Amino acid sequence: MIIGNRKTSYLEDEKILNNNYKKAFVFGMIALAIALPFFADDYTILMASLVGIMLIAVVGVNVVIGYTGLLSLGHAGFVAIGAYSVSIIHNLLGEWGVPDVLQPWLALPGAMGVAALIGILVGLPSLRVKGIYLAVATLSANFIIIFLIEIDTFSQWTGGRLGLTTPDPNFFGWVLDSQREVYALIAFCAFATILMVQNLFRTRVGRAFIAIREKDYSAEILGVSLLKYKLTSFAISAACCGLAGAMAAYFYAKVLPEQFELALSLQLVAALIVGGMGRTMGPVFGTIIIVLVPEILKISMGAMMGSSIEAAQLRAPIQEIVFGGLIIGFVLFEPLGISQIMDRFFRALNRWPFARG
Amino acid sequence: MQFVQFVINGLMAGALYALIAIGIVAVYKSTRVVNFAHGYMIMIGAYLYYTFAVLLPDASWAPAWLSGWTPEWVIAGKNSAKMFSPAAAFYDWIPNIPRIIFGLVCAILGSGLLALIIERFLMRPLLGQSNFSMIMITVGLISVLSGFKSLFWTGDAASVPHLTPNPAFRLDLFGTPIFIFGANFMSMIMAALIFGFIVYWLRHSSAGVAIRAVSEDQSTAYSMGINVPRVFAQAWLIAAATGAVAGAVLAARDGVSPSLGLFGFSVLAIVLMGGLDSFVGVFIAAMLVGVLEALVQWQLGGTWVEIAPYVAVLVVILIRPYGLMGHPEVERI
Repeated sequence: MIIGNRKTSYLEDEKILNNNYKKAFVFGMIALAIALPFFADDYTILMASLVGIMLIAVVGVNVVIGYTGLLSLGHAGFVAIGAYSVSIIHNLLGEWGVPDVLQPWLALPGAMGVAALIGILVGLPSLRVKGIYLAVATLSANFIIIFLIEIDTFSQWTGGRLGLTTPDPNFFGWVLDSQREVYALIAFCAFATILMVQNLFRTRVGRAFIAIREKDYSAEILGVSLLKYKLTSFAISAACCGLAGAMAAYFYAKVLPEQFELALSLQLVAALIVGGMGRTMGPVFGTIIIVLVPEILKISMGAMMGSSIEAAQLRAPIQEIVFGGLIIGFVLFEPLGISQIMDRFFRALNRWPFARG
Repeated sequence: MQFVQFVINGLMAGALYALIAIGIVAVYKSTRVVNFAHGYMIMIGAYLYYTFAVLLPDASWAPAWLSGWTPEWVIAGKNSAKMFSPAAAFYDWIPNIPRIIFGLVCAILGSGLLALIIERFLMRPLLGQSNFSMIMITVGLISVLSGFKSLFWTGDAASVPHLTPNPAFRLDLFGTPIFIFGANFMSMIMAALIFGFIVYWLRHSSAGVAIRAVSEDQSTAYSMGINVPRVFAQAWLIAAATGAVAGAVLAARDGVSPSLGLFGFSVLAIVLMGGLDSFVGVFIAAMLVGVLEALVQWQLGGTWVEIAPYVAVLVVILIRPYGLMGHPEVERI
């Protein structure tokens, strides 16, 4: 039974993995992620990759909504920026004759940088408004970004409505041209993103974000520059979403503008709410639920109703209703998400057979 | 001088925006909830109108009086009227009256029921909770409503009868020809009348005063004997009824399709542009955006229209954070 935390040095207190449960869980997950490509079938790899891509983006959304408290409904726009800019940068570098081996090392940071810049631009209204006004401002930004991708003016770079064929990255001479290979990259990036963002909240910047979330005027009085930190928050979060977009571009053979519309923004926020806002593990739980529940529905409906056309027609609406129901259910009954449920569970486990809850 | 033509088109579209915006503003004023799913409630209203004005009367078992009302004088008038004249449009419209009334009444009742369910089971448990939860509930509603829509109605666009006769008028204004579709013009008048009525009703009826009192301070209103939950239900009913009418008008203009739901987002942008709690500001913003869209269509082409309201709201928010005529929120630390 845990009755307290005994720490003998500051170093110990500052550790990210500060107890054995966390250590066991994280190392277990890493082992699983490494082992997966060697035995799993294609379907499992596909699902794991989708979870990974979305996880990177949701971790980014968590920075803005969960830690800084700025409600954004436009993050799919940043994912789109990442996906398109990584492909465009690859194409440009190819034209200029830069060797294939160097390209990803320029394109990935480039895509994240572009996304971060756009993030700062979109974050500008957050200096004047918040809450609902900011939600609508970011929503508008999402619509505008998708519109700019679709119009004919830029279609020689973006491919317009027809979508853009994406490159296969070449890391150290190893071309990642199958989904299984890209999965390895996605898994690495997902772990790296979670650890970096978790680390962020041990620093001055992260603490400033949390101060802004609690009450922005109080934070300003304490000397936290709202201008600087709100925009930093948007930049970091947009960069994560840009990375997720880049991974999506590497993973799929083609990206289409309609992949990044409002529906994706809502999915990102839904994953965050289901998992738990402002918690490290929140995005992980939430993404797994949001990606896997439609699949489970598909499989169970297939088992119940067979593969008739009627069943296929019913599937999409029911998936939509369940998705909306998940958001509503969690907001109504468990606003702190699955993280809270897990906390309660582990607390009960620790104290068993004594007091529970 | 096509300018006048496009401004008139814009004003007609703007009036519809204003009609939709009533729903969002009324709900916000009384409950402090910004309804992201209002567009999808309108879509449900449009589909209900489609069901009760087209599908049901056209069914083989429907009573004859519902599917068409053609007394002698209508047939006589139709035969004597010239093709494409206003009279011909009028006589074309008469047989549709039963189904229009039936469809509209059922759409309003259906949407009202939906709004009451939403208010009672989703909004009321969150009374006094943070804004964020309320917004997220309406965001979840978007998916639920659009899912139910595709469960009951398969997705193809279909046309429905106009609420009013639809003759095409051709005027000469300062030597430039101007075309106006009767139904668009009549729906502009109707939207303006409904808007005016609601604003007047809020200002001068006791129920309206109750709504304004609740919007000022919930707990004080409670302690003064106002039935706050009833006020909430009233606000949602207003939103549902105006939404159903707007849905029917929109469905007649653009056809019934799932894209009606997206309309709600541009109206949300307009509402923020006008100021969330100001009916007058929202009316001005709706007209401005309507005209802006028409001018954009004239100068830049149809594709740019879809982002015009979003660009407009971003510009207005950066200059006037709380909209044209909204009140800034006062915060205490």
